[in-house]
Amino acid sequence: MTDARRARYVALFASEARSLLTGARRELTRWRDDPSALDPAEEIFRALHTVKGMAASLEFEAATDLAHRTETMLSEVRRGSNVATTVWLRELEQSLDALTGACDTAVVEAGGAEPLGGAPAGSSQRIVRVDVNRLDALLSDLGGLVTARQELERRAEADALSPIARAALQMARRLDTLQDRILDVRLAPLAEVFERVPPIVRDVARQLGKDVAIELSGETLEVDRAILDQLAEPLLHLLRNAVDHGIESADVRRKAGKRPGGRITVAARQDGDAVIIEITDDGRGIDREAVARRARAMGILEDRATLSDDGLLVVLERPGFSTASEVTDISGRGVGLDVVVARMREIGASLSLTTVMGRGTVFSIRLPTRLGIVRALVTSIGDERYVMPLTHVVELVAWQADLVGQQDGRAVLFVRGDALPIVDLRRLLAYRGDDPPTRRPAVVFEANGQRVALLTDAVHGQVDAVVQPVDRPSGMARWITGATVLDDGRPALLVDLASVV
Amino acid sequence: MAHRVLICDDAIFMRTMIADILTGAGYEVAGEAESGLQAVERYKTVKPDLVTMDIVMPDMGGIDAVKAIIALDPAAKILMCSAMGQQSLVVEAIQAGAKDFVVKPFQPARVLEAVQRVIGG
Repeated sequence: MTDARRARYVALFASEARSLLTGARRELTRWRDDPSALDPAEEIFRALHTVKGMAASLEFEAATDLAHRTETMLSEVRRGSNVATTVWLRELEQSLDALTGACDTAVVEAGGAEPLGGAPAGSSQRIVRVDVNRLDALLSDLGGLVTARQELERRAEADALSPIARAALQMARRLDTLQDRILDVRLAPLAEVFERVPPIVRDVARQLGKDVAIELSGETLEVDRAILDQLAEPLLHLLRNAVDHGIESADVRRKAGKRPGGRITVAARQDGDAVIIEITDDGRGIDREAVARRARAMGILEDRATLSDDGLLVVLERPGFSTASEVTDISGRGVGLDVVVARMREIGASLSLTTVMGRGTVFSIRLPTRLGIVRALVTSIGDERYVMPLTHVVELVAWQADLVGQQDGRAVLFVRGDALPIVDLRRLLAYRGDDPPTRRPAVVFEANGQRVALLTDAVHGQVDAVVQPVDRPSGMARWITGATVLDDGRPALLVDLASVV
Repeated sequence: MAHRVLICDDAIFMRTMIADILTGAGYEVAGEAESGLQAVERYKTVKPDLVTMDIVMPDMGGIDAVKAIIALDPAAKILMCSAMGQQSLVVEAIQAGAKDFVVKPFQPARVLEAVQRVIGG
């Protein structure tokens, strides 16, 4: 076998084994619910059998051996010489985990980049692995092209019937297609993150002495690689919370008339351009009243107000609120939600929740599947460029000394009679470069029902920016939510205006 | 003209591997199927010179697919692809009309030898 051919087989193995083992786990959950069912055994057997054949072909001995032994274990039940008891099902689950681990190790040792990663099994047969940095470079170039196109279109507008205008229009159409294709190439299956869910849930459950079944679906749906990379941490955080604070102990569950074992499902479905991921647990639910009491005590909720699901989330996601120990013990699901919400916002995702006391909680993540191209305003502080989505920008106000005043001890900008609070981007950034210019433009924006004047050093015009999530160093401001490359090749950070206020 | 082969296996991995072995030796892959049912359907439209058939597949297993194909075309040339430890199933497949079998993991020389035997015989 040539190296190139072997690498291709390894890539195929990685994607197909992953998909088969994920399917086998789902069948196992079904089997747990109904131990007398016969078809889960058949489905799991078939998956194991195929994994064994593939592993043997690549001489992955440990994986072949484990697949064979698990297959034998299953054959005993299929033939009727053994019975699928709870204990036996747990052993089967452990064997599947071990097999997944062995496949992982084999793929990594064989030089496959990501353990059981790669493209989803099924449609495409010829797979090329590409360094993600190259994809990012491609995306940056695309951003430049989109900006150049706007310039061309602007100039062509003067004479819409000229040959140049027609050529510009054609180029624009092709650029749209190119943009779609480039964004397509970056898609990766949710399975790459979902794959990590069952071991972590089981691990946390084991540590806490709880019995928790986990069920996944929709793992073949695809989202942009950069979004996927940022999804893992908050998703796993929500799941740890669900096991730790959502699912009750077996005793408590029994007393409440529930099945002793808890259940968590992670279900993804397509919704237009977005993917919705619902994390459902059948645990104790969030104690709305307890959260409301604490919120009132902190002065963030009026005395007689109650909390809807949305209101609950608003309170829980307040930085620091849910890490307060007296809340974590009673809230059921709140720990570190502020962090989760901040992460979600960075990738353009939103979070919502539904909870019923005693019945459980559903967290719903609405995830964009593609990186956005955002119409944005380019501003600067010193030499640094900052872009701001135009969706929040109301107007630009040139500097005039007599527009600035004081109100209630705060600096305000008078715009047509309204006194808008002034926020200085220099101060937000703790910028220590050269002195500010004497005349500084203000970007008036509206967010959360409030108008604010943001002082910058200069405004440079508009761009269509291809925004990429940033790997944030610790200490980076939470309102920096992405990065882009301007058409002159300079990097710029995206300011999420809604988080500035 | 190159002999045309229909490859039936539920794993892309296996189909790719068999296709590589066969095309490397000058055979033409005329079609692929990933379940027994699909194998029977494809057989009707593709009319291949040879079928390679996995035993464990969803929908309809390989053995039932062999029976269905032989019922359509008693002269069909089918090579079973089995994993180790499936001797009894292989015997059943041969009784159903399969001409020969190879055992996974595939060794290209063995596969080609079996293919030539089945097509030649």
